[in-house]
Amino acid sequence: MSTAIDPITFAVLKSAVESIVDDMAYTVMRTARSPIVRDVLDYSTTMCDAEGRILAQAKTVALHLGAVPDAMEALLAHFGDNLAPGDVIIFNDPYDGGMHLPDIFMFKPIFQEERHIGFSVVICHHCDVGGRVPGSNASDSTEIFQEGLRIPPLKLYDRGVRNDTLLNIIAKNVRLPDLVIGDLEAQLATCALGERELLRVVEKYGRAQFETFLADFLDYGERLTRNEIRQWPDGRYEFVDYIDGDGFDESPIPIKVAITVAGDQLDVDFSGSSPQVKGAINSTLSFVKSATYLAVRCVLDSDVPNNSGVYRCIDISAPKGSFLNPEFPAPVAARALTGYRVADTVLGALSKIVPARVAAAGEGGNSVVCLGGYDKETREPFIMVDMINGALGARATKDGIDAITNPSQNMSNMPVEIMESTYPIRIEEYSLRPDSCGAGETRGGLGVIRQYRLLAHDAILQLRADRYDHKPYGLFGGGEAAPSRNLLSSGGSGFELLSSKVTRNVSRGDVIRHEQAGGGGYGDPLARAPEAVLEDVIDGKITAGFAREHFRVVVENGAIDEKATAKLRGETEEVLA
Amino acid sequence: MARSRQARIGVDIGGTFTDLVLIEDGGRVLHGKVASTPRAPEEAVLEGISTLVEGAGLAVADIAEIVHGTTVGSNTLLQKVGAQTGLITTKGFRDVLEIGRLRTPHMFDLQWEKPVPLVRRRHRLEVSERIAADGSVLVPLDEEELVAAAQALLGEGIESLALCFINSYRNPVHEKRAETLLRERFPALGITTSVSVLPEAKEYERTSTTVVNAYVRPVLEAYLARLESGIASLGIDAPLLVGNSNGALASSDTARSKPVFFISSGRAAGAVGGSRLGTALDLDNLVIFDMGGTTASASLVRDGELSRVSEYEFRAGISTPSRFIKAGGYMMSVPTVDVAEVGSGAGSIAHLDSAGLVKVGPVSAGADPGPVCYGLGGTRPTVTDANLVLGYLPQALAGGSRTLSVEAAGKAIRDELGAPLGLDEVTAAFGVREVVNANMARAIRAVTVERGVDPRDFTLVAIGGSGPVHAAAIAELLSMKSLLIPASPGVFTAMGMLAGDVERYYIAPFAMLLEDVDTAALAEATARLREQARKTLSEEDIADDDMELVSEVDLRFRGQEMSLPVRFSEPFDMAKVRDDFLEQYRAIYNYSSSDSIEVVSVRMTGRGLRPGKLDFRKLQDAVADDVAPMSQRQVFFGRERGWLETPVYDRLRIPRVIEGPAILEGSDSTVVVPPGATATRDDFMNLHLKLA
Repeated sequence: MSTAIDPITFAVLKSAVESIVDDMAYTVMRTARSPIVRDVLDYSTTMCDAEGRILAQAKTVALHLGAVPDAMEALLAHFGDNLAPGDVIIFNDPYDGGMHLPDIFMFKPIFQEERHIGFSVVICHHCDVGGRVPGSNASDSTEIFQEGLRIPPLKLYDRGVRNDTLLNIIAKNVRLPDLVIGDLEAQLATCALGERELLRVVEKYGRAQFETFLADFLDYGERLTRNEIRQWPDGRYEFVDYIDGDGFDESPIPIKVAITVAGDQLDVDFSGSSPQVKGAINSTLSFVKSATYLAVRCVLDSDVPNNSGVYRCIDISAPKGSFLNPEFPAPVAARALTGYRVADTVLGALSKIVPARVAAAGEGGNSVVCLGGYDKETREPFIMVDMINGALGARATKDGIDAITNPSQNMSNMPVEIMESTYPIRIEEYSLRPDSCGAGETRGGLGVIRQYRLLAHDAILQLRADRYDHKPYGLFGGGEAAPSRNLLSSGGSGFELLSSKVTRNVSRGDVIRHEQAGGGGYGDPLARAPEAVLEDVIDGKITAGFAREHFRVVVENGAIDEKATAKLRGETEEVLA
Repeated sequence: MARSRQARIGVDIGGTFTDLVLIEDGGRVLHGKVASTPRAPEEAVLEGISTLVEGAGLAVADIAEIVHGTTVGSNTLLQKVGAQTGLITTKGFRDVLEIGRLRTPHMFDLQWEKPVPLVRRRHRLEVSERIAADGSVLVPLDEEELVAAAQALLGEGIESLALCFINSYRNPVHEKRAETLLRERFPALGITTSVSVLPEAKEYERTSTTVVNAYVRPVLEAYLARLESGIASLGIDAPLLVGNSNGALASSDTARSKPVFFISSGRAAGAVGGSRLGTALDLDNLVIFDMGGTTASASLVRDGELSRVSEYEFRAGISTPSRFIKAGGYMMSVPTVDVAEVGSGAGSIAHLDSAGLVKVGPVSAGADPGPVCYGLGGTRPTVTDANLVLGYLPQALAGGSRTLSVEAAGKAIRDELGAPLGLDEVTAAFGVREVVNANMARAIRAVTVERGVDPRDFTLVAIGGSGPVHAAAIAELLSMKSLLIPASPGVFTAMGMLAGDVERYYIAPFAMLLEDVDTAALAEATARLREQARKTLSEEDIADDDMELVSEVDLRFRGQEMSLPVRFSEPFDMAKVRDDFLEQYRAIYNYSSSDSIEVVSVRMTGRGLRPGKLDFRKLQDAVADDVAPMSQRQVFFGRERGWLETPVYDRLRIPRVIEGPAILEGSDSTVVVPPGATATRDDFMNLHLKLA
């Protein structure tokens, strides 16, 4: 602990900045308009210092966290010497600080008596930013120009004066201007709240003491992280995972990672991963970094703060021109999927370093179902963006979790009754998917099923799933989970299987069904107690057939057939006797 | 009812002690404290009542009313000892309860465990029926399937049944028909329909609320039956009222049928009591701060109104101070006093994390082994140990029943904190106190700053055994200048219960843009709710003159999810309601929008003002003489002020005005008056502190 600030004031200030970002997150939730923000909670709030270093991030979308440093770099490159009280900067351009176009970043520089002391940062996933497909999220665009409105770093407010030109351009280029402008207002309110609260803290403790705290706080994050990494065995650990295809080409897209542990430093190298692809799953390097930080953070066991000090311990590289560091103008709208898979891959490598702290692969990231069109009578547009979560893979001593947010998000689900009263859609089923788990001594979590019926005359369906061909992996003998499936029943016929990434027209009465992958298993399924298997069969979470095939447990009429089970498990008659 | 009798009893069951307060119309107040009996909580209540009545020299016939706060609801959830519960849902939706809202309370936590649903999947069955979003019937209820499902659940040993159908909030016809049918067929089965507890949108919140009700109901029913028969067997013939989560009271009949409204019974009563005390003293803006052994909590009174929320989650452990997180507990959408709680209390253990940061809690030494200074086997320093080392606490517990060891406390602080940090004992002890104060300040922030409310405009009311030991220091952290310490902070919650009114809540969906509101339809909906409220209140023996009916509309900007309730009177004045909404909105979020405003629903709160309830203005305890301190001791007031020779008074024998520093020792709590502060005693033995 540095001697410049006493440990008590340090603890008090730490708690103060952490509660400011939570206040900010709460404000977004209360004031946002679109269901994707206010119900699904696809946003994040962050407080940075004047140099753009993260001090704290709220318990919101974790995958945004690591992208803030690169975004800050872009912002400072444009406006570093041109920031004034009352300014607000926004952008979404993936090739200039952004991630993908629907995520609009907003920054408010905070000044205390003319001195710049920090930034409020709010990133929201907007329900539409124009482009060829409602929701601006399609996997099958081939260049960024198809994906919607690109906003370079620009001032939305300049010394308190609103930039109406910019706002008008945004409003004219999105399908749901009321919601987009409404959500931007929510971002503005949140930035202002962050500013007010940070100023309160700085005024109370004095700027000098606050600035000392900043430096110490980042060091503290770094020190906690290094304390952990130092305990890991030095070495090079590799792992490969795959994305099924980019929506054009079904051939698998590999993500290769090599993690080198050297003392208290990690080097994470993605060399050997796929070159950039035609479809929109290319990911900016900033987002790859986010996913990597996230995976590493998940295996740190102490209460490490969400600040930039942590990143100092992790070097990350991906070759330029790879799909993890693409060249302009590659499309990137569906890059979230790549982020999930990067996290899965890094966690796979980490399982070789800290096996007790990881989970087997989960569902592979939320599946996105987007239905958009116009009401036939009123010509009112509607865009429903739904994100389906999720399953956690099995842990060393615990089963995975049935129906849970992916750890790289912290998202919620849209209530069925809200969806039905807002959109021309009816939900016919929302349930756990039996047998979707990977078997193991501990089993993976179950994925979910969500089935939609379109009530509007017609709509464009845009569906993004994965884990069709490359199932969620198990660990240490645990089985893979069931793959995802997209199904469509059109014109009253039976269900047909769609591909994992779909953009197509659908009509009234069509039924879209998504069956999500589950989580992988951990350890030998034969080591699982037959009684635990029986409980799952009774609960209908797995079928008797699954129990027999994967766990070699025979369940008949709600009870274990001991004899048949022993035989199947290869135990001898003597052991039984 | 004839009111010849004049004594009322308030009972609050806590983890360690059951507190009782008896108040006579004449103003005499008696306290009682008995050890809680968690296995059969009514035993302690009954023992306490008979002791108290006897000690007061009263006859059982003198008892007019017993008001009760119970932890039976929360313990049933905490310990998972509720009824075997079944759930019947619309086809396709039996997993809504288990899927929940998917979020986790912590980020980056792969080891989290999702709470096990109160109804296992095998006991969640589906029937064919479907109501559309507009309330029309898409698929009629399949009655045969329904009866077969209930039959199957009964065969599995189900004792209590929850029913929740999709969109039933728009049209309850299927739920109501199902209830009627099942009551006929299975008269012994307890049934909770979702529309009977929460006729509002959002299937998870409604299902969960319904399930909690069904799960807790048989337990609370049995408990209240035992308690009532016990009270009767003492010869007392007085109504039993139960405190609900909103800090109001209801008849025990209501508590039996809708226990989900009573889960935080008791916890809310302290807040309500604080708010009543404020009203009695003409203080409209209060933060009520309650500090016990393992947790501390805060609630807000603004312009005389106690802050409330419409939903909360019950979970094991501690609710975080941020209300932003919605994950991983048992969700209840019921009106609840907005209490922010943190896992810091007098028994919280101080330790260092791996990078050398001082942390206090959430682990508590509890009553066993207790703080190091108690000498009962505790070895890790607690907040109480730090307070003792610094001179804040007496070296012997009240009545000399136990001597506290300053040496042992000091040694634990030196060894565990001082040495590794390179700090001396006193600096380390003071550090523990500062860290725990900062943690507790977070609870206050959650109900003030998080709402855009400036705590500096508020008076801090300190209750709970340890509240007055820390309140002044916490107030300083938040730049709050004035504090109120009630006469008996240690038993204040039991007292608060006696200050409650009867309250019932009604809600009806009313979706419309504010500018388009059909005032006739609104008047009709309001009248219907008012009628319901009147009817229930008169069933609870409330005279017409004592009824207060408050109507509100829930408003939000078009497209928002969350709404704010705004009061209205009739005839409905649209412009005024809009202005009130905008003003509230601006106060909370620092901005406002020019968008259209929409009405979501109409709410009615029916309040039965109880003529005999406790009036803090009448409260008087032993009146003190003007006196000198009992003794003097050294107390450490921080790095700048250092050790100060501090007078120590008996809480019951204090002069009208005391200049800090001073320590006031009472049987239920110790009050710390810091240097520079002035404490003024009012006629009711409350202390008003003004900080420098």
